[in-house]
Amino acid sequence: MRFVLRGLTWGALGYLGGGPGLAALVRWLGGPAWRLETVLTVGYPFALAGWLAGIGLWDAWARGWFGLAVRPVHAPGWRRYFTFCTDHKVIGLQYLVTFVGLFLLAGAMALLMRVELAWPGRSVVGPAAFNQIMSLHGIVMIAVAVAVVLGGLGNYLVPLMIGAPDMAFPRVNALSYWLVPPVALLLLGAQLVGGFNTGWTAYPPLSEINPAGQALFILAVVTFGLSSILGGINFVVTIARLRAPGMTWGRLPIFVWSVFAASLLSFTFTQYLAAALLMVLLDRQVGMAFFHFARQGTPLLYQHVFWFYSHPAVYIMILPAFGVALEVIAHSARTPLYAYRWAVGGFLGIVGLSPLVWAHHMFTSGMREGLHAPFLVTTEAISVPTGLVFLSALGTLWRGRLWLRTPMLFAGVGFLWNFLIGGLTGIFNADVATDLHLHDTYFVVSHFHYTIVGGEIFALFAALYYWFPKLTGRMYHERLGRLHFWWIFLAYNATFLPMFWLGLHGMNRRIGDYPPALAGVNLFVSVAAFLLGAGVLAAVASLGQAWVRGQRAAANPWQATTLEWQVPSPPPEHNFPAPPQVVGPPYPYGQPGLRHAVMPAAGGDR
Amino acid sequence: MPLTDRWLALGLWVVLSAAGIAAARIDFFPPAGAREAQVADAAFRLLMRLAAPVFALVVTVLVVALARRRGHGDPPPDAVVGPEHPAVPRAWFGLTAALAAYVIYNPGLVGIHEMRGDPQADVVVRVDATSWYWEVTYPESGVRSREVVLPAGRRVRVEITSRDVLHSFWIPAFRTKVDAVPGLRTVLLVTPTTVATSETHHAYRLQCAELCGTGHDTMRATVRVVDEATFRRWLQEQRRTARPGRP
Ligand code: HEM
Ligand SMILES: [Cu+2]
Ligand SMILES: [Cu+2]
Repeated sequence: MRFVLRGLTWGALGYLGGGPGLAALVRWLGGPAWRLETVLTVGYPFALAGWLAGIGLWDAWARGWFGLAVRPVHAPGWRRYFTFCTDHKVIGLQYLVTFVGLFLLAGAMALLMRVELAWPGRSVVGPAAFNQIMSLHGIVMIAVAVAVVLGGLGNYLVPLMIGAPDMAFPRVNALSYWLVPPVALLLLGAQLVGGFNTGWTAYPPLSEINPAGQALFILAVVTFGLSSILGGINFVVTIARLRAPGMTWGRLPIFVWSVFAASLLSFTFTQYLAAALLMVLLDRQVGMAFFHFARQGTPLLYQHVFWFYSHPAVYIMILPAFGVALEVIAHSARTPLYAYRWAVGGFLGIVGLSPLVWAHHMFTSGMREGLHAPFLVTTEAISVPTGLVFLSALGTLWRGRLWLRTPMLFAGVGFLWNFLIGGLTGIFNADVATDLHLHDTYFVVSHFHYTIVGGEIFALFAALYYWFPKLTGRMYHERLGRLHFWWIFLAYNATFLPMFWLGLHGMNRRIGDYPPALAGVNLFVSVAAFLLGAGVLAAVASLGQAWVRGQRAAANPWQATTLEWQVPSPPPEHNFPAPPQVVGPPYPYGQPGLRHAVMPAAGGDR
Repeated sequence: MPLTDRWLALGLWVVLSAAGIAAARIDFFPPAGAREAQVADAAFRLLMRLAAPVFALVVTVLVVALARRRGHGDPPPDAVVGPEHPAVPRAWFGLTAALAAYVIYNPGLVGIHEMRGDPQADVVVRVDATSWYWEVTYPESGVRSREVVLPAGRRVRVEITSRDVLHSFWIPAFRTKVDAVPGLRTVLLVTPTTVATSETHHAYRLQCAELCGTGHDTMRATVRVVDEATFRRWLQEQRRTARPGRP
């Protein structure tokens, strides 16, 4: 905690000096008085630098730049989690716990929206507050979706699964994580200066004329983007360079492939989001006119740049979820992953196509008519590589013998069913004739919740249960786990299936009030949403309880073949006493004579 | 797996697909008040029919896999499987690509043509969006109005713009929308077919569909689709009662 306090103090000092301090200096020198928004914006980089230095970047890293001796932080036990610790397992857990916490917080906001939406008319929150809550829920959940599987599970598992002692750039890794708390603080702090009301998409002109909270939103998202880019580069280099001897590309566990694919996207495209938002900031603060129509700017330009990142972003969210689902399905079906190479081809096909589809979000934007057809074509085409992922999952299920534990329920039943609905309804959104109606309605709300919540969040739960014994050294409660699955699965579908009907029937999105004729279905959805919230809370609580009190788990309770299960749980620092020797495919179930790896010291190879 | 299982699975797939295709006939749409709405609803149904076998396939495999599960207890013995047959993924790839190609053609490109292909119009209407209300102008007769009155059976060209932020012109019964963008005149072509008003059904309302701030959800206007004669009469009345300089 000492470092956290120091970070906060240095951050505050940095802000005071760089923001109000600089403003006062400028004023004293006869310059103009700064608006609050400008003070906040200029002060922020100083605050960020102060925070990062204080949290430990100065001791563990930056001292070296000035020829001083670096002092890596060593804190015992749980205190490591509050320091600039470079162990990928600590960072993985930092990500997981932080983003599961944010997930619950933003989930509470969703329930607040569902209270307002339970009845037509205004009941609990006013229109302005509703838009703020909706926007905060949206952007926090987007951040959760980008980081919880990739940053959390990716960091924890990738080095273990490829037989590496750590990530390629451990200090950059710690930096990626410690950039996250300022993001959360900015988004929450923005509510004190008027908040932001544009949804997570921040379309101008609205985002150029609303209160100062929007500027903090922009700084938050740009900071988060920096963290994403650094994380992406780190994964790509780690997977390319640090694989254990014998771990060829064709022997990588499928989850590692999915992280690789998602990381390619995150470090290639995140900068476009930053560019779009920084242009908004410049328009707001120094009178530029990128999107200002009265001065020859064009609002549509923003949408093109924004979606050039934000469509690939949905694959940054879903690719690691595909990886989790296939990984869990293969181990639970006790058979090699079916059509492994085709699944990898599917991932890479998605990576290749994802930069070519962005304007399917803009069929009704008023963009040039001639752009409709090409973007319809590329978008529908992306269903082909996605189909390969399904081929792999279905073939594995078909040939295997299911060991039906909780992780398998989440990955095999929950993920496949939900993502099937999410994926198929995506085809309706990609078809111009249907999308002109469906765009910006609850049909779309339901579609993207089916992919992100039904898909990624269900995969997250599959992963939390599957790797729980690895992460904590303890076992979760199996019966409770299965109960939670069925509860969440049914409540989830009861909440989101009716939303397709609502959208079709004229309920547009981002509204707190709707025609009275839609009241009954909305009430049903709100009740189901509360059941869903209760189920999620119960599941997280029971996992938390098992983390503290659960039975000790065996080192390899699933008798799984991949490398992370061949070391003690939780794994020691630097993972392996010596590099393991990889000698075969990752899932050699029922293949006598084949094995994945030979461990250097004592310990099984299964 | 035993042969009978395969036949059962095939049977389940056929039944589920047929059920899905049949379900596409259910009328779960709000009233369709324009030719464009008929096109959109037909495209929706076609997509449902095409999606049904895909949906059924995944559900069938899930059901079979669950029915053959090996319990919750200790790990079951590993499944012993033969080598993968290389023709299966190739066939899968070919079939999904063919399906995607068909969807691209129909309702994809065909749908675009049917929805947006015909630029001819009989009546022109101008719509100006301002936070948070709509102004409708009939340039041919100089009439201004706060409600959207349209003649049934005529092709209407709606020209839309915004005076401040983005808005979106959407009448759910017409199944099509376009954004109101400051500095740009966007166009929506519709042919209303049925005489109806906002009192008939809430799908006949002009609703802003692009987040535009505090008043977004209630940024609505009444829509009345009337027959041609009533439309002309209404225009004349409006012209007579309009005081100069005021809408
Ligand atoms: C209990 C579960 C949840 C419920 C009941 C819920 C409900 C809602 C509601 C009512 C909206 C406003 C819709 C609108 O008018 O546009 C919304 C928006 C949104 N939600 Fe959720 N949500 C849930 C979970 C999640 C999760 C887990 C994620 C992502 C991981 C997520 C991502 C989003 C996004 C990105 C938006 C769009 C916000 C925007 O338009 O800017 N939601 N959600
Ligand atoms: Cu997209
Ligand atoms: Cu609006």
